[in-house]
Amino acid sequence: MTSYALGRAHGPAHACRRCLYRTDHPLGLTLDDEGICSGCRVHEEKDRLDWDARWAKLEALVKPYRSRDARTYDCIVPVSGANDSYFIVHVVKERLGLNPLLVTYNKYFNTPLGIRNLANLRIRFDCDILVQNVNPQSVRRITRTALREIGSMYWPCLAGQTVFPVQTAVRFGVPLIVWGAHQGLEQVGMFSHEHEVEMTRRYRYDHDLMAREPADLIGLFDTLAEEDVWQYRYPDDAELASVGVRGIYLGNYVRWDPKAQHEQMMRTHGYETAAFARTFDCYDHVDCYNYMNVHDLLKLYKHGYSKVTDHATREIRHGRLTREEGLALVRRHEQEAVEHLGLFCDWLGVEPNALGFVMDQHRDPRFWSEDEPGRWRFRGWSTMDQPQAAANPAPLRSDPDFTANSRLERDRAHGYIVVGRGYP
Amino acid sequence: MLGKRLVGVITVKNGWAVQSFGFGRYLPLGRAEILADNLDRWGADEVLVLCIDRGAAGPDLALLRRMAAKGLSTPLIYGGGIRSVEDAVAVVASGADRIAVDALLRDDPGVVPGIEAALGAQAVIAALPLGVDGDALVSFDYRTRTRAPLAEATLALLRAGSVSEVLAMDHVNDGGAAFDERIVELFPIPSVPLIVFGGLRDPDQIRRVLGRPSVRAAAIGNSLSYGENRIRQLKSKLGALPIRAPSYLRWIDQ
Repeated sequence: MTSYALGRAHGPAHACRRCLYRTDHPLGLTLDDEGICSGCRVHEEKDRLDWDARWAKLEALVKPYRSRDARTYDCIVPVSGANDSYFIVHVVKERLGLNPLLVTYNKYFNTPLGIRNLANLRIRFDCDILVQNVNPQSVRRITRTALREIGSMYWPCLAGQTVFPVQTAVRFGVPLIVWGAHQGLEQVGMFSHEHEVEMTRRYRYDHDLMAREPADLIGLFDTLAEEDVWQYRYPDDAELASVGVRGIYLGNYVRWDPKAQHEQMMRTHGYETAAFARTFDCYDHVDCYNYMNVHDLLKLYKHGYSKVTDHATREIRHGRLTREEGLALVRRHEQEAVEHLGLFCDWLGVEPNALGFVMDQHRDPRFWSEDEPGRWRFRGWSTMDQPQAAANPAPLRSDPDFTANSRLERDRAHGYIVVGRGYP
Repeated sequence: MLGKRLVGVITVKNGWAVQSFGFGRYLPLGRAEILADNLDRWGADEVLVLCIDRGAAGPDLALLRRMAAKGLSTPLIYGGGIRSVEDAVAVVASGADRIAVDALLRDDPGVVPGIEAALGAQAVIAALPLGVDGDALVSFDYRTRTRAPLAEATLALLRAGSVSEVLAMDHVNDGGAAFDERIVELFPIPSVPLIVFGGLRDPDQIRRVLGRPSVRAAAIGNSLSYGENRIRQLKSKLGALPIRAPSYLRWIDQ
């Protein structure tokens, strides 16, 4: 079964009049009577809520979790060599004054820049870190199965980075996990900030894992076995309850603006960034060769839009782009050629044309048509009729530019660093 | 005292589980069958699936079959798009244990005794969006967004015992932080068991309303998605009420 059939909404899809999302967004999206989407409505809270009061709530929330004798960690913070990791650790360690245990899942597609950023993170913030390296043979087997079954080459990465912190919380008896922003809240307005949503197994299963628990990947006609997937199993309810594990999201208490946060971390903590062909955002995902490449192409195949639409939508909501400017950026970037595909084929042990064949099976016919064998026509979101743009209440900003101050290889050779020993 | 129940509610719109606020604003949540699977694991006493936009489309039997494929052990109530005895029977044949009817009570209440005859009254629930005007209980029609006294035809069905329970939905506080308990006090037929729904989030209020003799169950929707194992957390705060322990605690006890 291809993934587009899962959870597909009934009826025709409609576009938001403010941002670039449509109601067939894979996380779900609702439009109100004015044609404004749930994501844009929840984003309006960022300019309405009393963030000082929300910060006070966060301080009160974490207070019981402070270690009394400094002989254990106060909390667990999942990190990587990119995304919002620097800002999260900055808030946790330097503003809240907590002593975190950093945890990171090795996705094996590491760029030299990501390895450098991760090493600099633990050094600059003076934190302990745990790295999980799952047997790479199993990861390859899962990647092959997930690619074939659900059109995802990133399932092990998503499963690993969402479960390893929880397993660590249980294993170390450290109940509090601190995440950055909640993806469902930020993208599609799944929750209000005031709902103070916390980490759940259900959200991970439903969205992060694309409705496939580890056991669901084991099939009668596959070579994948329990010994390949057990590392990705979520602790059971009794284990979670015995430790009192809870995962909170800083985005509910801190006005979340990834661009501003990354630029702050570049200025103050040495975070380094790199340009990508398929988006204008140089700040996210610089730790991975594949996220903004083959993974992004699969997203375009399956969902009719790619990461640049997420980035443009976020910037429109923050008032740094108009809807028209955002759409132009999407059209400029989303069909750019995928880079580093050879690295992935070598790692996975497949020929590029074989990979292409498997990926083609996951093109959603709503967004792609094969005019003749091997010639596909894109009919995704950016090609569709656009609604009349609605007014954007976000204060107009004059800082739309992203700055790359390094490159993925940094000062090393092109290639995955499967196990990074640190930097330099 | 009969046992009391916590019912997990999944509101479905356009095929997608949503949070509902005031019967008019919605936020997306995810796949309804995965929410049901989760509530089953958490030890909810019953799961209520309300498909709110089925209308002429009829019941969402495909959704019920996806839920059935999950192998849930929790009793399932389904409401949405049930227009006839045949629809009601198809819903049960597709995996629901009971049905809830709402629009049918307004559009064609004469069908309800037929459903009772086919399924038994114990399988039929009247879903009533309610509110309070002054000191009077009123019914809310979400299609016209108007309020009126409870229809005599509905009251006659309740008196006749054609339904086993009433889902008393506080439409004003749907998605809010408190249920209007006057709805229970003003309900005109005290002998009809109530499932109360709308704004129930605070454990103190849930304990209080479940303590009322006519309230058989508390139904909770949006807030169950705000954190991990909310059914267990709520049950642990309900004191001495006769309520089933969450599932994994039962395993430990055994």
